[in-house]
Amino acid sequence: MDEKVLSRDFEVSHLYQIDTYLQRGGYEAARQALRMKPEEIVEEVKKASLRGRGGAGFPAGMKWSFVPKVDKPKYLCVNADEGEPGTFKDRFIMSHNPHLLLEGITITSYAVGINLAFIYIRGEYERIAQRLEAAISEAREKGFLGKNIFGSGFNLEVVVHRGAGAYICGEETALLESLEGKRGHPRLKPPFPAAVGLFQMPTVINNVETISTVPLIIKNGASWFTSLGLPKDGGTRLFGVSGMVERPGIYELPVGTPLRKIIFEYAGGVKNGRKLKGVIPGGMSAPILLPEEIDVPMDCESVAKAGSMLGSGAIIVLDDQTPILEVLRLVAKFYSHESCGQCTPCRIGTSWINKIVRRMARGEGRKGDVDEIERLASQIKGRTLCPLGDAAAMPILAIVQKFREELEAALR
Amino acid sequence: MPKITIDGKTIEVAEGTTILKAAGQAGIHIPHLCYHPAFPPEGSCRLCLVEIEGAPKLELSCSTVVREGMVVRTQSEKVKEARRSVLEFLLAEHPLDCPICDKAGECKLQDYYEAYGLFESRFRETKEKRSKLVPIGKRLILDRERCILCTRCVRFLLEITGTGELGVFERGLHSEIGVYDGEPVDNNYSGNLAEICPVGAITDLDFRFKTRSWFLDARPSVCPLCSRGCNITIEAHRGFPRVELKQRVYRVRSRENPEINKYWICDLGRYSYKYLDENRVSYPYQVSNGRKVRLSWDKVLIILSEKIRGLQVRNRTERIALLLTTALTNEEFFLLRRLFLEELKVSRYAFSDPPPEKGDNLLLTPERTPNRRGAKAVGFDVEAKLENLGGEKIDLLLIFASHLPEAMPLSWLQAEAAEIETKVLFTSHESRLDPVVDFVLPVAPVAEKEGSMTNVDGKTQSFSAGLPLWGESLPEWKVLVELAKQAKVNFRYFGLLNSIRAINQAMAEETSILSRNP
Repeated sequence: MDEKVLSRDFEVSHLYQIDTYLQRGGYEAARQALRMKPEEIVEEVKKASLRGRGGAGFPAGMKWSFVPKVDKPKYLCVNADEGEPGTFKDRFIMSHNPHLLLEGITITSYAVGINLAFIYIRGEYERIAQRLEAAISEAREKGFLGKNIFGSGFNLEVVVHRGAGAYICGEETALLESLEGKRGHPRLKPPFPAAVGLFQMPTVINNVETISTVPLIIKNGASWFTSLGLPKDGGTRLFGVSGMVERPGIYELPVGTPLRKIIFEYAGGVKNGRKLKGVIPGGMSAPILLPEEIDVPMDCESVAKAGSMLGSGAIIVLDDQTPILEVLRLVAKFYSHESCGQCTPCRIGTSWINKIVRRMARGEGRKGDVDEIERLASQIKGRTLCPLGDAAAMPILAIVQKFREELEAALR
Repeated sequence: MPKITIDGKTIEVAEGTTILKAAGQAGIHIPHLCYHPAFPPEGSCRLCLVEIEGAPKLELSCSTVVREGMVVRTQSEKVKEARRSVLEFLLAEHPLDCPICDKAGECKLQDYYEAYGLFESRFRETKEKRSKLVPIGKRLILDRERCILCTRCVRFLLEITGTGELGVFERGLHSEIGVYDGEPVDNNYSGNLAEICPVGAITDLDFRFKTRSWFLDARPSVCPLCSRGCNITIEAHRGFPRVELKQRVYRVRSRENPEINKYWICDLGRYSYKYLDENRVSYPYQVSNGRKVRLSWDKVLIILSEKIRGLQVRNRTERIALLLTTALTNEEFFLLRRLFLEELKVSRYAFSDPPPEKGDNLLLTPERTPNRRGAKAVGFDVEAKLENLGGEKIDLLLIFASHLPEAMPLSWLQAEAAEIETKVLFTSHESRLDPVVDFVLPVAPVAEKEGSMTNVDGKTQSFSAGLPLWGESLPEWKVLVELAKQAKVNFRYFGLLNSIRAINQAMAEETSILSRNP
């Protein structure tokens, strides 16, 4: 099935302008949703099995239903801090179709009872942030944001907040801290943001792609959505394919499309007819898969079963000429650089590994270094305050375990 | 109340208790560094991880609240391995300069390595070089190599003083504690930072390189420098053979009392301890033509009791007057009342306390004496001014100045000196009063005696001596009892008051002050 739904109109010129968007049926879903009962929307999204597109794959409808029905301000934070190496799908949505995101925000906010939404966008996306702001003012002018939207009595404001460049701020609780003007340090959970979030208030945090998918579900219904993908993991996803393939890019495909098919059919196979060495299936923090492991369907559960994770759906393809030590060096460097420094195993573990790998890359590897890296990574895994520790440990463990021989060959 | 099992021990704890606290109640210590009972759990050191039956991962004991039927293991192989692992990480980037570190001997990292670590170092890389001498406040030095980033200091300044001078800067391995540009830690509670730092990252200039913690004897006491009555420990050097040290006390630290000072003391209470070893009166003496004539206490007591006896025989005890400060203990005020106001019918007394100063809204009170409430409760009018001493000629003026002789009315005394036959100064410290009086008698400041005091909120606290007596000094209560006995004033009563316990009992019967024995 090659039908694009989310990115259907992305090639339409000037789609980011509200008039073009309206000509393509824009804001119809929001108009429709605001006539529904909020609970009905939550129910519909639950039935659609919309799983979070940011990385953790948590069912969105369920997340919304965790928000307590209390008379307090509630907030929506759209996580647009797209920082996972290999991931470039959210910028694609926001730059081509900012109004789709705004429409999703309107529906989500209405469903949960939110009157103030934030888009936390990574600092580097400066022009996209400007585009979002332009879209917000267009929507306000039309009365799609602001007071009494579509005459429903529902009010909503959307604020774009630019991050300052730390990977950790993509972690939802660090994002909240950063949004509050503090240092981007993850919070201890529980309490979860649904109960105690931004400014201590109940808060929904969803990825750009997740929120942008909501209007489609409202327009076409939950069963249409699950029929696109899988019953427990509905819809299509934007797979960002990068690395050594003939045709890198964004591919909107049904959830559950086999990884092999994405690489070899859609992305045109390994570049220059070389052999495949491995595939990182869900952004850099996903453990690498070997060529014999890529028949896995790309849905949250199947990829997890294969020992990796679907993550943000960012597929990084490595060919047989890629030295694995160089891959390991980049992974180790990245997490050591991006560890926020709050908790011990992540702060010191990632940098310790980085120091060893850097030494190995200089040709000063020693016997036992590979085992040491494996030991340190397993001492980080499952013991850190936030998921960054696992995000660092798991890909490193996979590289070390799957390419031990090649790595050991680099030792003296 | 949920019942939980920790290491095979089943206990019942209050709803909402964390595993760490519940374990503590069961007598099981779970090691922790970033957790401090005064702050909400931080969860960053990862040392307090424990195994919970049914949980896929190890969980934080500092933040996980107990649930009915929970089974927790704090000694399983998995937990031990996780602890070793955290300690290994912390020590990997630690300078291990314990031999020159002031925290050695009382360092959590050191203690935990001994208890839970004992591994060989496997770190073969280059340790980070960081600044080791960062002045972060008037009395505080930060060593960033020793810092384990538990952020207790940052949180103390946010949650307790609300001043927020410290923050974490940079990221990851480069994270470091620091002050914001040009704004060092400047509040009256800064000394607590060195105390809550679990390692030697924040050290106190006052203590830095002065001695080693294991040479010190820590004894409990109560701070007498304002009316809060903060609980403290006085840490004095045990001394070396054949070496004379210039000071006894090296440090005063806070002692936990949830009802009064929680875990903290102010800098005034922490850093003023030098008065205990400076300008002390060491022996009783008479001032004769401007010269000090040393006397024994026996002689002094004979002279004074004769004097009192003489006045009593001539029915002139009215000519005795008292000049007091509210730095005495409840027991001493009680004895003063019983002996002078009741037995000897003395009616003239005045209080001369230091004038109130600025307090803060945390612990330090404007009042700078410890026991105004106690003096009142015993029955003294603490508002009694010098004018009360007017009228008939004074034959015997007894000045109980405690450690505050400078608060006594010097000019009044100078003016009246010729008129008053005998002026006796009971004080622990030398002062400008000394040449004006006839006798200077060394007594013990609060740190050196036992007794009780009643604080600004009316809480009465007993304390024992935190330090041995200085030189020949005696606590006032002992002097008063001896004086009463030797002057043969109600011997049957005073003869029995040979201990603080006995005085306490008498006091409990005759006043509203209830005081526990130390």
